[in-house]
Amino acid sequence: MKPEGQLNSSSDRLRDPSAARPPRTSIWLAFVSIGAVIVAQTYAILTSPAEGDMGHLQKIMYVHVPAAWMTFLSFFVVFAFSVRYLWQRRENDDLLAASAAEVGATFNGLTLMLGMIWGRPAWGVWWVWDARLTSTLVLFLIFVGYLALRAFTDDTQQKARWSAAVGAIGALNVPIVYMSVKWWRTLHQPPSSPATLDPRYTMGLRLNAIALLLVMIYFIRKRYEIARLERATEHMAEAAAMGGK
Amino acid sequence: MTTAASNLNFIIAAYAVTWIVILGYLWRLVRKGGRARADYERMAQQRSGEKSQ
Repeated sequence: MKPEGQLNSSSDRLRDPSAARPPRTSIWLAFVSIGAVIVAQTYAILTSPAEGDMGHLQKIMYVHVPAAWMTFLSFFVVFAFSVRYLWQRRENDDLLAASAAEVGATFNGLTLMLGMIWGRPAWGVWWVWDARLTSTLVLFLIFVGYLALRAFTDDTQQKARWSAAVGAIGALNVPIVYMSVKWWRTLHQPPSSPATLDPRYTMGLRLNAIALLLVMIYFIRKRYEIARLERATEHMAEAAAMGGK
Repeated sequence: MTTAASNLNFIIAAYAVTWIVILGYLWRLVRKGGRARADYERMAQQRSGEKSQ
């Protein structure tokens, strides 16, 4: 039997379908990542003082900013594996890119919702067609489109090719979102990072970013495991329909 | 309602939304994973039954 990850030809799977079974993602990673979020949020809420302009509203930063970073990271994974799929046509690259796209869209939606919740008391409006908000919404819609494309395309090869193209091009919007507050005059403040923050807030932000990174890794791994199981089941069903042994 | 109390509501809403999204997506993955593994095992059993016949 070939080592894990090298079963790329369908003939391999037809001979030994059970060899395509992906390893289970450890449930401990879920517990550790959820526990890390609880600890990081508790630390940040209890230790950060009220900010000069926004008061305690600043505490929304600990969820909003890491969620935005995880969106960018997830879409970077989509970009990398989409490009690799277009280059090498490995099925697992397509499945990994699709898994990261779903997780990225989830974080992207969360970022938008948190931005609106923060914007209402800070700016007096839930939404404004500002460059940062609009480009983040466009990014979200691109990846909702990506997921819809995968859901409505039956041909596996075509689905993988088209979604890799959309994923690679769509992820190019990430630098535009990031730079939007520098390129255009916007209501949104410049990017928050440990380098630009008052030192009293940096530890809380770092801890929350690490905790959400663990959550993101768990989500992508688990979604990838599911995608591989579903694909392996499809291959076995195809083989059974063709009368393959 | 004072500004501080109003702001507290927005802070609670932000953290509540974060947990709803995280736990909601986790729940979706657990359910989908369970179904996918069950389908896989059923198909694998069916295939091994066909081979042995």
